[in-house]
Amino acid sequence: MIEVRELTKRYGGTTAVDRLSFAVRPGTVTGFLGPNGAGKTTTMRVLLGLDHATSGEALVNGTRYGSLRRPMREVGALLDAGAVHGGRRAFDHLGWLARSNGIGTRRVAEVLERVGLAGAARRRVGGFSLGMRQRLGIAAALLGDPGVLMFDEPVNGLDPDGVRWIRELMRSLAAEGRTVLISSHLMSEMELTADRLVVIGRGRLIADTSVRELADRFRRGVLVRSPRAADLTAVLAAAGAGVDTMPGGALTVTGLDVAAIGDAAAAHGIPLHEVTPHSASLEEAYMELTAGSAEFGAVTR
Amino acid sequence: MTDNPNRASGTVGAGGIGAADDVPRDGVPWDGAAGGLVGRGAGGVGDAVAAEWWKVRSVRSTAAVLGTVGAFLLLCVLWSWYVARYWDGLPAARRGTAQAAPAEQPLAVSLPVCAVVLGALTLTSEYSSGMIRASLAAMPRRGVLFMAKGGVAAALMGAVALVATAAGSLAGAAIIGDRPVPTFHGAAADVAVHLLWLGLTTAAITLIAFGLGAVLRSTAATITSGMAVLFVLPALARLLPSPWDERIWSALPGSLANQIAGPPGSSGDHGALSPPVAVTLLVACTAVALGAGAYAFARRDA
Repeated sequence: MIEVRELTKRYGGTTAVDRLSFAVRPGTVTGFLGPNGAGKTTTMRVLLGLDHATSGEALVNGTRYGSLRRPMREVGALLDAGAVHGGRRAFDHLGWLARSNGIGTRRVAEVLERVGLAGAARRRVGGFSLGMRQRLGIAAALLGDPGVLMFDEPVNGLDPDGVRWIRELMRSLAAEGRTVLISSHLMSEMELTADRLVVIGRGRLIADTSVRELADRFRRGVLVRSPRAADLTAVLAAAGAGVDTMPGGALTVTGLDVAAIGDAAAAHGIPLHEVTPHSASLEEAYMELTAGSAEFGAVTR
Repeated sequence: MTDNPNRASGTVGAGGIGAADDVPRDGVPWDGAAGGLVGRGAGGVGDAVAAEWWKVRSVRSTAAVLGTVGAFLLLCVLWSWYVARYWDGLPAARRGTAQAAPAEQPLAVSLPVCAVVLGALTLTSEYSSGMIRASLAAMPRRGVLFMAKGGVAAALMGAVALVATAAGSLAGAAIIGDRPVPTFHGAAADVAVHLLWLGLTTAAITLIAFGLGAVLRSTAATITSGMAVLFVLPALARLLPSPWDERIWSALPGSLANQIAGPPGSSGDHGALSPPVAVTLLVACTAVALGAGAYAFARRDA
């Protein structure tokens, strides 16, 4: 369980996070979405006690992270896979982490096995590829078998195999009842991985919703084609629908679902050539939600 | 601490850490509360020290520093051998007035440099790689982490200094044999006190560089500052008008060890401070650097 309440974080004159509130519940993968510079990483850093909140609070399992004595047994986090000492061997990197939280070295071998790095345990981290570093960071997050997991852009720089591996791992961790929060700036990725979405822009909450709700919210009517478009328009309008005639003779119907449109047409003997529910892709929904909140956007001409 | 693979010594029903990956927990909300209770009950300075010790011994820069100390230990042997040959070649009349630096002199000069490098790298290398965030996420109590890091670095450097200077001094005594060179024939107790203070000063300089590193967060800036204090300031102090040249020079950290307990048998000028004043100054410098470092470390965002 992760709770962020009225969290504000300022760096000098810049407000990175602005009165942000949301909760992440166990058993689900929650996508933490926003354009670059939206405040995702800052929120995670405050959650982990790395940065001090200007006001508000960020709690893990009801407690401030900083008051946990053996935090890795409760929260596993991957912020920056590159933040490792290149001269240290993978086994030693996980070894000191485990030791700091009273976790046995047997567990180090287990997590290395789980992330597929067992063969590289004795290699220096400096020689690791980006994908291997991501795996090492995930191994570190899993070390303490924590109930809460946080990953900052875990698929960045991974090849398709790695992306799929992460996706399946996240889903299996949530299925085990853990709380999983993944930040990303890619809706397309979250669409496949997350159950719930927390969308922020310029440090403020834009949406706290499920993937399905978001898709529903951006439903854009039903596209209907009929050789008797004018008759159908009258019938549907009488049934209370909004009907727009598109170029080429197709109709866009709002306020009635596919079944109701079909029933109404059949009752009047009007043939239908196409009935297609239209919804914005999640990608489009996300772009619409975050429009104007990208910190560094290109100028559209 | 022993290796304890079991999460929370068995208080969490779902099983030990080792088994967790294999135990399906379909849809069961995670027992976070139980984990929380356990997590707050354990952990502490011992774990932090053990983790920091693991870090120190698993990087090559530590080996490089120790290798450097080893090289200067060899120089101690060479120096003693040279003094012995030199002594043998002296006319008897000049032997009464001849002066030679003690056997451990090469180490006494180089150990502060090694201390500055190790003390600085302990923290600044984590800032440059970003690993400080992993350290703080694993050990969020900043005071504990700071003391563990500084303590491990200082203890290592102090112990290395003691062992190396003792070895250098013993080797020197063995090589010089019964030649009556004064600096090689101090009373065992006096030599022990001198070497002990060399070791303690080395540990203190490690802590000073460590504290400075916490404030500056940059390896280059910290090591440069350390070298300036050790080598540039003493030379500049010598340019001051008397008596300030002597006073300032005596108060610099690199000059303190010999004023506390100089090498037995040496008649050189070690500085203007009495041993208690020099000890107080060393403690004060260390406390100020550590205090400033701890304050910066605790207050600033990682």
